[in-house]
Amino acid sequence: MNCESYDWKAYALGELDRPARTEAESHAATCASCRNELATLRLTLDTLSTLREEDMPRRIAFVSDKVFEPRWWQRVFSPNFAAACVIAGAILVHAFARPGITDAQIKAQIDVAVTKAVAEQTEAIVARDNERYSQAYAIATGLERQ
Amino acid sequence: MIFREVEDLDLIAKARRGDVEGYNLLVSRWEKRVFNYLLRLVSNREDALDLSQEVFLKAYRNLPKLDDPARFAGWLFRIAHNEAFSLLRRKRPEGELGPELHEAGASGRLLPLELSLAVESALKRLSGDQREVVLLKVYQGFKFDEIAEILECPVSTVKSRLYTALDLLKSTLAPVVLRGES
Repeated sequence: MNCESYDWKAYALGELDRPARTEAESHAATCASCRNELATLRLTLDTLSTLREEDMPRRIAFVSDKVFEPRWWQRVFSPNFAAACVIAGAILVHAFARPGITDAQIKAQIDVAVTKAVAEQTEAIVARDNERYSQAYAIATGLERQ
Repeated sequence: MIFREVEDLDLIAKARRGDVEGYNLLVSRWEKRVFNYLLRLVSNREDALDLSQEVFLKAYRNLPKLDDPARFAGWLFRIAHNEAFSLLRRKRPEGELGPELHEAGASGRLLPLELSLAVESALKRLSGDQREVVLLKVYQGFKFDEIAEILECPVSTVKSRLYTALDLLKSTLAPVVLRGES
Protein backbone atom coordinates (compact mmCIF):
# COMPACT_ATOMS: atom_id res chain seq x y z
CA MET A 1 0.00 0.00 0.00
CA ASN A 2 1.20 3.50 -0.78
CA CYS A 3 1.05 6.52 1.54
CA GLU A 4 -2.22 7.86 0.09
CA SER A 5 -4.08 4.73 1.10
CA TYR A 6 -3.63 5.46 4.81
CA ASP A 7 -6.26 7.63 6.46
CA TRP A 8 -4.15 9.39 9.10
CA LYS A 9 -6.97 11.69 10.18
CA ALA A 10 -9.17 8.71 10.97
CA TYR A 11 -6.19 7.15 12.77
CA ALA A 12 -5.53 10.26 14.88
CA LEU A 13 -9.24 10.61 15.67
CA GLY A 14 -9.48 7.01 16.89
CA GLU A 15 -11.83 5.82 14.14
CA LEU A 16 -9.77 2.89 12.84
CA ASP A 17 -10.30 -0.65 14.06
CA ARG A 18 -7.40 -2.60 15.53
CA PRO A 19 -6.19 -4.35 12.33
CA ALA A 20 -6.22 -1.08 10.39
CA ARG A 21 -4.39 0.68 13.21
CA THR A 22 -1.72 -1.99 13.36
CA GLU A 23 -1.20 -1.84 9.62
CA ALA A 24 -0.98 1.97 9.64
CA GLU A 25 1.54 1.91 12.50
CA SER A 26 3.69 -0.62 10.64
CA HIS A 27 3.73 1.67 7.64
CA ALA A 28 4.48 4.80 9.71
CA ALA A 29 7.45 3.04 11.26
CA THR A 30 9.11 2.92 7.85
CA CYS A 31 7.76 6.17 6.27
CA ALA A 32 9.09 9.54 7.45
CA SER A 33 6.52 11.46 5.39
CA CYS A 34 3.55 9.72 7.03
CA ARG A 35 5.15 10.04 10.47
CA ASN A 36 5.47 13.76 9.85
CA GLU A 37 1.86 14.05 8.72
CA LEU A 38 0.66 12.16 11.77
CA ALA A 39 2.80 14.28 14.10
CA THR A 40 1.38 17.50 12.62
CA LEU A 41 -2.17 16.19 13.02
CA ARG A 42 -1.56 15.23 16.63
CA LEU A 43 -0.07 18.63 17.33
CA THR A 44 -3.16 20.31 15.87
CA LEU A 45 -5.48 18.09 17.92
CA ASP A 46 -3.41 18.73 21.06
CA THR A 47 -3.68 22.46 20.43
CA LEU A 48 -7.43 22.16 19.92
CA SER A 49 -7.70 20.35 23.24
CA THR A 50 -6.37 23.45 25.04
CA LEU A 51 -9.72 25.15 24.49
CA ARG A 52 -11.03 25.82 27.95
CA GLU A 53 -14.35 24.36 28.92
CA GLU A 54 -16.54 27.21 30.08
CA ASP A 55 -18.42 27.05 33.36
CA MET A 56 -22.11 27.69 33.15
CA PRO A 57 -23.29 31.13 34.31
CA ARG A 58 -25.96 29.34 36.31
CA ARG A 59 -27.11 25.80 36.69
CA ILE A 60 -30.15 24.43 34.93
CA ALA A 61 -32.79 22.99 37.20
CA PHE A 62 -36.44 22.30 36.86
CA VAL A 63 -39.08 22.53 39.53
CA SER A 64 -42.28 20.64 39.57
CA ASP A 65 -44.89 22.62 37.68
CA LYS A 66 -47.67 21.84 35.25
CA VAL A 67 -45.17 20.90 32.60
CA PHE A 68 -43.58 18.33 34.84
CA GLU A 69 -46.57 17.14 36.78
CA PRO A 70 -47.47 13.55 36.02
CA ARG A 71 -50.18 12.97 33.44
CA TRP A 72 -53.66 12.03 34.64
CA TRP A 73 -53.03 8.36 33.97
CA GLN A 74 -49.80 8.54 35.97
CA ARG A 75 -51.78 9.97 38.86
CA VAL A 76 -54.42 7.23 38.54
CA PHE A 77 -51.75 4.60 38.85
CA SER A 78 -49.90 6.28 41.70
CA PRO A 79 -50.01 4.26 44.98
CA ASN A 80 -51.69 6.99 47.09
CA PHE A 81 -54.39 7.69 44.57
CA ALA A 82 -55.05 4.00 44.06
CA ALA A 83 -55.37 3.46 47.83
CA ALA A 84 -57.82 6.36 48.10
CA CYS A 85 -59.85 4.90 45.25
CA VAL A 86 -60.01 1.49 46.93
CA ILE A 87 -61.27 3.01 50.20
CA ALA A 88 -63.88 5.17 48.42
CA GLY A 89 -65.00 2.14 46.42
CA ALA A 90 -65.36 0.05 49.55
CA ILE A 91 -67.54 2.73 51.17
CA LEU A 92 -69.80 2.92 48.11
CA VAL A 93 -70.11 -0.84 47.86
CA HIS A 94 -70.97 -1.05 51.54
CA ALA A 95 -73.59 1.68 51.15
CA PHE A 96 -75.33 0.13 48.16
CA ALA A 97 -74.83 -3.53 48.90
CA ARG A 98 -76.05 -3.29 52.55
CA PRO A 99 -79.17 -5.56 53.09
CA GLY A 100 -82.38 -3.43 52.93
CA ILE A 101 -85.18 -3.32 55.61
CA THR A 102 -88.17 -5.46 54.55
CA ASP A 103 -91.85 -4.45 54.87
CA ALA A 104 -92.44 -7.13 57.51
CA GLN A 105 -89.65 -5.66 59.63
CA ILE A 106 -91.15 -2.18 59.26
CA LYS A 107 -94.59 -3.53 60.25
CA ALA A 108 -93.12 -5.28 63.27
CA GLN A 109 -91.35 -2.09 64.33
CA ILE A 110 -94.65 -0.16 64.00
CA ASP A 111 -96.47 -2.84 66.00
CA VAL A 112 -93.94 -2.64 68.78
CA ALA A 113 -94.18 1.14 68.83
CA VAL A 114 -98.02 1.08 68.88
CA THR A 115 -98.13 -1.56 71.62
CA LYS A 116 -95.74 0.47 73.70
CA ALA A 117 -97.76 3.69 73.18
CA VAL A 118 -101.07 1.93 74.05
CA ALA A 119 -99.55 0.47 77.19
CA GLU A 120 -98.25 3.86 78.26
CA GLN A 121 -101.64 5.50 77.65
CA THR A 122 -103.50 2.71 79.48
CA GLU A 123 -101.19 3.03 82.43
CA ALA A 124 -101.72 6.81 82.50
CA ILE A 125 -105.55 6.43 82.40
CA VAL A 126 -105.55 3.84 85.17
CA ALA A 127 -103.36 6.06 87.31
CA ARG A 128 -105.62 9.06 86.71
CA ASP A 129 -108.76 7.01 87.52
CA ASN A 130 -107.18 5.71 90.71
CA GLU A 131 -106.38 9.26 91.78
CA ARG A 132 -109.95 10.41 91.07
CA TYR A 133 -111.28 7.39 92.95
CA SER A 134 -109.13 8.24 95.96
CA GLN A 135 -110.28 11.83 95.92
CA ALA A 136 -113.98 10.78 95.69
CA TYR A 137 -113.48 8.29 98.51
CA ALA A 138 -111.95 10.97 100.72
CA ILE A 139 -114.85 13.39 100.04
CA ALA A 140 -117.47 10.68 100.77
CA THR A 141 -115.73 9.73 104.01
CA GLY A 142 -115.71 13.37 105.12
CA LEU A 143 -119.40 13.82 104.44
CA GLU A 144 -120.28 10.71 106.43
CA ARG A 145 -118.38 12.07 109.47
CA GLN A 146 -120.32 15.32 109.25
CA MET B 1 -18.34 5.26 31.17
CA ILE B 2 -20.33 2.04 31.57
CA PHE B 3 -21.41 3.01 35.08
CA ARG B 4 -22.35 6.44 33.84
CA GLU B 5 -24.48 4.93 31.09
CA VAL B 6 -26.18 2.59 33.53
CA GLU B 7 -26.96 5.49 35.84
CA ASP B 8 -28.16 7.60 32.94
CA LEU B 9 -30.53 4.82 31.93
CA ASP B 10 -31.86 4.68 35.48
CA LEU B 11 -32.36 8.44 35.58
CA ILE B 12 -34.05 8.42 32.18
CA ALA B 13 -36.47 5.76 33.44
CA LYS B 14 -37.23 7.87 36.53
CA ALA B 15 -37.73 11.01 34.45
CA ARG B 16 -40.10 9.14 32.18
CA ARG B 17 -42.24 8.37 35.23
CA GLY B 18 -42.46 12.10 36.01
CA ASP B 19 -39.65 12.20 38.59
CA VAL B 20 -38.38 15.78 38.27
CA GLU B 21 -35.51 15.25 40.70
CA GLY B 22 -34.31 12.29 38.66
CA TYR B 23 -34.36 14.46 35.58
CA ASN B 24 -32.50 17.26 37.35
CA LEU B 25 -29.74 14.76 38.15
CA LEU B 26 -29.58 13.76 34.50
CA VAL B 27 -29.41 17.43 33.51
CA SER B 28 -26.56 18.05 35.94
CA ARG B 29 -24.55 15.29 34.22
CA TRP B 30 -24.96 16.73 30.74
CA GLU B 31 -25.57 20.47 31.07
CA LYS B 32 -21.94 21.58 30.92
CA ARG B 33 -21.19 19.57 27.78
CA VAL B 34 -24.34 20.77 26.07
CA PHE B 35 -23.71 24.35 27.16
CA ASN B 36 -20.14 24.35 25.81
CA TYR B 37 -21.25 22.78 22.54
CA LEU B 38 -23.92 25.44 22.13
CA LEU B 39 -21.57 28.20 23.24
CA ARG B 40 -19.10 27.32 20.45
CA LEU B 41 -21.93 27.24 17.93
CA VAL B 42 -23.68 30.49 18.83
CA SER B 43 -20.73 32.39 20.41
CA ASN B 44 -22.87 34.02 23.07
CA ARG B 45 -23.07 32.88 26.69
CA GLU B 46 -26.62 34.07 27.37
CA ASP B 47 -27.90 32.57 24.13
CA ALA B 48 -26.09 29.33 24.92
CA LEU B 49 -27.63 29.25 28.38
CA ASP B 50 -31.14 29.97 27.11
CA LEU B 51 -30.71 27.32 24.43
CA SER B 52 -29.43 24.82 27.00
CA GLN B 53 -32.55 25.41 29.08
CA GLU B 54 -34.72 24.93 26.02
CA VAL B 55 -32.83 21.80 24.98
CA PHE B 56 -33.38 20.10 28.34
CA LEU B 57 -37.03 21.16 28.44
CA LYS B 58 -37.62 19.69 25.00
CA ALA B 59 -35.68 16.60 25.94
CA TYR B 60 -37.90 16.08 28.98
CA ARG B 61 -41.09 16.51 27.00
CA ASN B 62 -39.88 14.12 24.32
CA LEU B 63 -38.29 11.48 26.54
CA PRO B 64 -41.21 9.09 25.97
CA LYS B 65 -40.40 9.23 22.25
CA LEU B 66 -36.78 8.19 22.76
CA ASP B 67 -36.78 4.66 21.37
CA ASP B 68 -33.42 3.57 22.73
CA PRO B 69 -32.40 5.26 26.01
CA ALA B 70 -28.83 3.99 25.46
CA ARG B 71 -28.58 6.52 22.62
CA PHE B 72 -29.55 9.41 24.84
CA ALA B 73 -26.33 11.39 24.21
CA GLY B 74 -26.69 11.52 20.43
CA TRP B 75 -30.41 12.22 20.75
CA LEU B 76 -29.75 15.09 23.19
CA PHE B 77 -27.12 16.65 20.91
CA ARG B 78 -29.50 16.29 17.99
CA ILE B 79 -31.97 18.49 19.89
CA ALA B 80 -29.16 20.91 20.76
CA HIS B 81 -28.09 21.06 17.11
CA ASN B 82 -31.63 21.87 15.98
CA GLU B 83 -32.08 24.55 18.63
CA ALA B 84 -28.75 26.19 17.84
CA PHE B 85 -29.31 26.35 14.11
CA SER B 86 -32.85 27.53 14.57
CA LEU B 87 -31.45 30.46 16.54
CA LEU B 88 -28.63 31.09 14.08
CA ARG B 89 -31.05 31.20 11.18
CA ARG B 90 -33.08 33.83 13.00
CA LYS B 91 -30.15 35.93 14.15
CA ARG B 92 -27.48 36.04 11.48
CA PRO B 93 -26.73 35.08 7.89
CA GLU B 94 -24.88 31.87 7.16
CA GLY B 95 -21.10 32.04 6.86
CA GLU B 96 -20.47 35.08 8.99
CA LEU B 97 -16.94 34.97 10.30
CA GLY B 98 -15.95 35.47 13.87
CA PRO B 99 -13.31 37.88 15.11
CA GLU B 100 -9.76 37.65 13.88
CA LEU B 101 -7.27 35.37 15.49
CA HIS B 102 -6.14 36.81 18.77
CA GLU B 103 -2.52 37.91 18.71
CA ALA B 104 -0.35 36.81 21.54
CA GLY B 105 2.32 38.93 23.17
CA ALA B 106 5.11 40.27 20.99
CA SER B 107 7.41 37.48 21.94
CA GLY B 108 7.70 34.38 24.00
CA ARG B 109 5.70 31.22 24.55
CA LEU B 110 1.92 31.41 24.47
CA LEU B 111 0.17 31.17 27.80
CA PRO B 112 -2.59 28.55 28.19
CA LEU B 113 -5.24 31.27 28.16
CA GLU B 114 -3.79 32.80 24.98
CA LEU B 115 -3.63 29.38 23.39
CA SER B 116 -7.25 28.75 24.31
CA LEU B 117 -8.30 32.09 22.84
CA ALA B 118 -6.34 31.34 19.68
CA VAL B 119 -8.12 28.02 19.31
CA GLU B 120 -11.47 29.68 19.92
CA SER B 121 -10.78 32.20 17.19
CA ALA B 122 -9.54 29.51 14.81
CA LEU B 123 -12.78 27.58 15.35
CA LYS B 124 -14.79 30.69 14.57
CA ARG B 125 -13.06 30.97 11.22
CA LEU B 126 -14.57 27.67 10.16
CA SER B 127 -17.98 27.49 8.55
CA GLY B 128 -20.84 26.53 10.86
CA ASP B 129 -20.98 23.01 9.42
CA GLN B 130 -17.24 22.48 9.76
CA ARG B 131 -17.12 23.87 13.28
CA GLU B 132 -19.93 21.65 14.42
CA VAL B 133 -18.33 18.40 13.28
CA VAL B 134 -15.10 19.44 15.05
CA LEU B 135 -17.07 20.14 18.23
CA LEU B 136 -18.88 16.82 18.08
CA LYS B 137 -15.77 14.80 17.25
CA VAL B 138 -12.89 16.51 19.06
CA TYR B 139 -14.70 17.90 22.10
CA GLN B 140 -17.65 15.55 22.54
CA GLY B 141 -15.99 12.35 21.35
CA PHE B 142 -18.79 11.05 19.15
CA LYS B 143 -18.02 8.48 16.47
CA PHE B 144 -18.48 9.33 12.79
CA ASP B 145 -21.73 7.35 12.55
CA GLU B 146 -23.12 9.00 15.68
CA ILE B 147 -22.34 12.45 14.29
CA ALA B 148 -24.06 11.46 11.05
CA GLU B 149 -27.18 10.62 13.06
CA ILE B 150 -27.06 13.87 15.01
CA LEU B 151 -26.66 15.94 11.86
CA GLU B 152 -28.88 13.69 9.76
CA CYS B 153 -26.36 13.42 6.94
CA PRO B 154 -24.20 10.64 5.45
CA VAL B 155 -21.00 9.55 7.21
CA SER B 156 -19.11 10.57 4.07
CA THR B 157 -20.34 14.14 4.55
CA VAL B 158 -19.22 14.11 8.17
CA LYS B 159 -15.75 12.92 7.18
CA SER B 160 -15.50 15.43 4.36
CA ARG B 161 -16.44 18.37 6.59
CA LEU B 162 -14.19 17.21 9.41
CA TYR B 163 -11.15 16.56 7.24
CA THR B 164 -11.49 19.95 5.51
CA ALA B 165 -11.88 21.61 8.91
CA LEU B 166 -8.77 19.87 10.24
CA ASP B 167 -6.74 21.03 7.24
CA LEU B 168 -7.93 24.61 7.79
CA LEU B 169 -7.23 24.43 11.52
CA LYS B 170 -3.82 22.97 10.86
CA SER B 171 -2.84 25.93 8.70
CA THR B 172 -4.58 28.54 10.88
CA LEU B 173 -3.02 27.24 14.05
CA ALA B 174 0.41 26.53 12.58
CA PRO B 175 1.96 29.82 13.82
CA VAL B 176 0.35 29.32 17.21
CA VAL B 177 1.54 25.73 17.41
CA LEU B 178 5.10 26.78 16.50
CA ARG B 179 5.12 29.55 19.12
CA GLY B 180 3.60 27.22 21.66
CA GLU B 181 6.44 24.82 21.07
CA SER B 182 9.20 27.42 21.20
